[in-house]
Amino acid sequence: MTGRTLTRRQVLTGAAASTAALGTGAVTARVAFAAGSGTGTLVVIFLRGGMDGLSVVVPGDDLHLAEARPGIAVPTSQLLPLARGFGLHPALAPLHALWKQGQFTAVPATSTPDISRSHFQAQDCLERGGLAKGPTEGWLDRALDAMSPGTTFRAVGSGAILPRSLAGDQAPLALRSLDELRLITADNFHDRTVAALAGLYASLDHPLAAEATGGLASLDVAAKINATPYQPAATYPPGDFGMGLAQLAHLIKADVGMRVATIDVGGWDMHTFIGTVDHGAMKDQLTLLGQNLGAFAADLGDRLVDVTVVAMTEFGRRIEQNGSAGADHGHGATVLLLGGGLAGGTIHGSWPGLAPEVRDHGDVPGANDYRDVLGELVTARLGVGAGTLGRIFPGHPYRPLGICR
Amino acid sequence: MRELVFDRRKVLAAVAGAGVAATVATRLPGRSRRENLVPIDGTRAAGKGTSGGRTAFASQDDSYARAAATLRSAKAPPTSAVQFASAGEAAAHTRPTVPTILATDDPIAHLLRRATWAPTPALATLVRAQGIDAWLEAQLAPETLSDGPADAAWAAFPMASADPATVRATIVPGSWDAMTYFGEATMARQIWSQRQLFEIMVDVWANHLNVPVPGPGGNWDVGPAYHRDVIRAHALGSFSDMLVAAARHPAMLRYLNGEESTRQAVNENYGRELLELHTVSVTAGYSEADVRNSAYILTGRTVAADRVPGPPGTFVYDPSRHWTGRVKVMDFEHDNASAAGGMAVGDAYLRHLAALPATARTVARKIAVRFVADVPSPDLVDRLAKAYLDNGTQIVPVLRAMFRSGEFWAAVGQKVRRPHENIVASVRALGFQPGADTQRGVDAFYRWTVNMGQRPLGWPSPNGYPDVHAAWRSAGAVVDSWNNHRLMLEDWAQGLVGPDPDRIGTEFPRATVGQYVDSLCLALCLQTFQPAHRNALIAFTGADAGTPAAQAGVAGMAKELIALVLDSPYFSLR
Repeated sequence: MTGRTLTRRQVLTGAAASTAALGTGAVTARVAFAAGSGTGTLVVIFLRGGMDGLSVVVPGDDLHLAEARPGIAVPTSQLLPLARGFGLHPALAPLHALWKQGQFTAVPATSTPDISRSHFQAQDCLERGGLAKGPTEGWLDRALDAMSPGTTFRAVGSGAILPRSLAGDQAPLALRSLDELRLITADNFHDRTVAALAGLYASLDHPLAAEATGGLASLDVAAKINATPYQPAATYPPGDFGMGLAQLAHLIKADVGMRVATIDVGGWDMHTFIGTVDHGAMKDQLTLLGQNLGAFAADLGDRLVDVTVVAMTEFGRRIEQNGSAGADHGHGATVLLLGGGLAGGTIHGSWPGLAPEVRDHGDVPGANDYRDVLGELVTARLGVGAGTLGRIFPGHPYRPLGICR
Repeated sequence: MRELVFDRRKVLAAVAGAGVAATVATRLPGRSRRENLVPIDGTRAAGKGTSGGRTAFASQDDSYARAAATLRSAKAPPTSAVQFASAGEAAAHTRPTVPTILATDDPIAHLLRRATWAPTPALATLVRAQGIDAWLEAQLAPETLSDGPADAAWAAFPMASADPATVRATIVPGSWDAMTYFGEATMARQIWSQRQLFEIMVDVWANHLNVPVPGPGGNWDVGPAYHRDVIRAHALGSFSDMLVAAARHPAMLRYLNGEESTRQAVNENYGRELLELHTVSVTAGYSEADVRNSAYILTGRTVAADRVPGPPGTFVYDPSRHWTGRVKVMDFEHDNASAAGGMAVGDAYLRHLAALPATARTVARKIAVRFVADVPSPDLVDRLAKAYLDNGTQIVPVLRAMFRSGEFWAAVGQKVRRPHENIVASVRALGFQPGADTQRGVDAFYRWTVNMGQRPLGWPSPNGYPDVHAAWRSAGAVVDSWNNHRLMLEDWAQGLVGPDPDRIGTEFPRATVGQYVDSLCLALCLQTFQPAHRNALIAFTGADAGTPAAQAGVAGMAKELIALVLDSPYFSLR
C-alpha cells in the first residue's frame, strides 16, 4: 500500500466520475506520479503455447542437448554468442544487436513449483502470481493496486481477450486497436451521442459500466493521438503482433501515462516439426519475434530506456524431441528481457545444465522462480517497494536475480 | 507437471452435495494440511494477497469468472436451488434475486435472450401463444421445425455444404475459402434459423471440441466436414457419440497431432487435451503417466494420404501404428493386446471417459456457464451432471433440467453478450433478411467478428472462446460495438434486405417523444428503460418526454436513437 492514498473502490469510482466531466479535459495527458512510484512502462508479452527455450537461448556447449535432439538441435556453430555457454538462435539476430548494447538478456530454466504441464493450468498459475491455489486476481492487477493511481491508459491490454494477469479490480483499458477508440457519428450528433452514452451507463452497478466509461474517457486522448497517423521509426512485420507493438510504442511516445501493457503471441505449441535452424516452425516463429521486438526497440529509439519488456511463456518443452520432430510439454522455461534498466552482458539466474540427474521428469528444471524475475521488474520498473511484493506474490520469499541494474 | 502436483496431492473427497465445498487434502513436501476449496459460487472469494481465496480452477472460464468480486455481473449468485416439473412452472415460481436493470417480471424475454441469438417481439409473441414448455420442446426437437429461410441462406455459401473430396477438387490446396464460407454460413444460421437453441448448442460444442475453422494446420479440406458431421450431427444427441465421432475425424486428428502419433513416436497432444479439455478436466487428478497412456490408446488413428495410403483426407485406423500393451488411465484399464483391436479399445476408452462423473461435471458446468451465470452454483452443476449421467450422456435431458431449474429463471441479467453475439443479436433485432447477395452481406458482418477477435469457430487454441465476461472486458470492444450498430444502419451490409429505421417500433404507441423512445426499447430490448437511462435517450432528442414526437422531429433521428438503444447495457446483456 506504499504511497497509496485512495482505496480501490475510490479509484473505480474516480474513473466513473471522470466520465461526467468528459470533454473538459478530465483525462490528463500525463499525470505526476507520486514519489517512489517509478517511471516508465513494463511491457509483458505472453508467448502462449509453451516456447521451447532450448531452441532460443541455446546451451550450445551442453552435449546432452545434441544427443536428445538429433534432428532439431540448433548447431553450435550457428549460434550467436551470448554468455555462460549460451548462444542465441540466429533468427533472433535483431535481439543479438540489443545484447551487444546491454539491452537484451534472458533467464533460462525458469518456472515455479506449482505449475503443471497443462497449458491452461500453467498459464493460469503464472498469471495469477505463481500459486496453483493462490489469490484470484491477476498478478499485474495486484501490482497496479500497489501503485499510485494514474490515467485511463495506465494499464493497456492489447488484444481481444483480456490477459488473465490483468483480470481483477483495476479496470485496465483493453483494446485491439487505437482506432477502436473513435466514435463514428455524424458531426452534428457527436457530442450528444457521447452524452447519451454516458447517461446510459450512469448509475449502473455492473462491470460493463467501467468498460463503457473507460471507453468514453479515452476518446478525447485517443482523438489527439489519432489526429496524425502514427509513423513508426522502424518497420514492423505485417500481423497482429507488429500492429500491437507499434500501437504500444505510439502510446509510450504520446506520454499518456501507460505504465503496464500486455500483448499475447500464440503459436508456440510445437508438438510437431520444430524444424532445423534453416527451415521450420521455430525458425519462422523466431524470425517474426526477432523482427517484431527489434522493430519495437528501434521504433522507441531513445525512449527504450524507459521501457522494459519481458517475454514469458507457460513452460519450456521436453528435452527429448518427440516422434514428430517436435517436443511435448516440458517444464523450465526461458524468459526473454529487453529494454532499459537491465544488467546486460550476461545470462541471469541459475543454470544446472541438462544432465539426466538434474532434469525434472525428463525436462529442464525450474532452477529459477518466475516470481523473482517478475518481482525485480515490478520493483525496478514500477517502483513498488520490495516489502510490498508479498502482496503481489504471496508466500514467496523474494530473491532478486540481479536482472536489473 | 500437473501430475507432479497431483502426485503430491491426493484428492480425498469430491463435492459432497448442495452448497458444500469440496474438501481436498493436500500433501506438500514439508507440510500437510486440509483446506477448503472456494465453492463454485465464489461466495468465499477473499481479498488480494491474503491467505483466503485459495482456488484451483477447472477451466479458463472458471478462473476468469472469479478473478475479482467486482467483475462478477452478479454480486451474489442466484441460489434458487429448486428443480421444477416443467420449465413453465419454474418460470412462474421463480423470481430473480439479484438486482438487474433487466425486467424481472418477463421470464419469456429472459428465456429468449438465453435460448436464442436474440429475441424479437414476434418471437416473444410466439412463445406467449405456444407456452414456454411447448416452445422449448420444439426447440429441443429441431427436426420438427421447418427452416426454409435458413436453409436458403445456407445455400448461398455453396462451399459450406461441399464434402472434403469436392473441396479438394475445387479449391487450391491450403486455401481458406471453404473454411471461411463455412464460418459465414454458420453465422447465417445463427441469424435466421428457427432452430435457435440448436444453433446455440452447436456453438457450445464447437468451442468445447474446438477445431478452429479457419485455423492453422491442414484442415482447409476437412474442417467444415468436422463441424457438420461431428458437431452439428450430435449437438442435441449423445455426448459420448460426439466424442467418439471427433476421435475418428481427420480434422481433430490433424489439429491435435493425433494423426502423427505412433507406437514408435508418441505425440501426447490429443491424449492430454482429451482429458483436460474434452472430458474430465484438469482438476480430475490424472497423472503424467495417465496422459501418456491416453496417447498410447489413440495411436493408430490417422489420416489417409497424410500418413498412410488411402483416399486423401479420410480417417484411417492403421494397426501397424498402434501401441500395444496394457494401458491404464485413471480407472480405465485394458490389456490392449492386439494391434487389430486398438480401435475398439480406443472407442471403449472414449465412452468410458464420456460416462465419468468428472466429465458430467465438465459438461454440466459448460452448459450452466453458457445459459445461467458466469459462476454457476455448485448445486445446479451437480443436478445437471446427474441428469447427464442418468440419461447416458444424452444432452437434451441436461438442457431440460437446466430450463427446469430455479437458478436459470433467477439469473436474469447475469450474462453479457460477447462481441460476436452482440453482432448477431443486433442483426436479428434490426431485422436484416437474406437478399440478392446474402453471402456478401453476411461476409461484412463476419469481417467485423474477425476485427473484434471472435470470428465464429475461429478460436485458435483447443479450449474454445472464453464464455465469461471477465475475459472479454474491453473498452475498445465496447466502443467498437457502438460503431458497429451505427454502421449496420448505414446500409453497410450490401446484399441483404436491410432494416427500415422508420418501421422499427411502429407496433407500439409513439405519439410523444417519451413513447417514441419507449417504442424503440420495446422493439429492440423487449422492455422500457429505467428512468435515468430513458432520460438519457430523451435528452438526446433535445425535447421533453411529453413533446409530440412529430413536433420534436424524432423521426429524423431514428437511426441515432436505434443505435443508442443497441449501445445500451440492456442490449449488451444476454
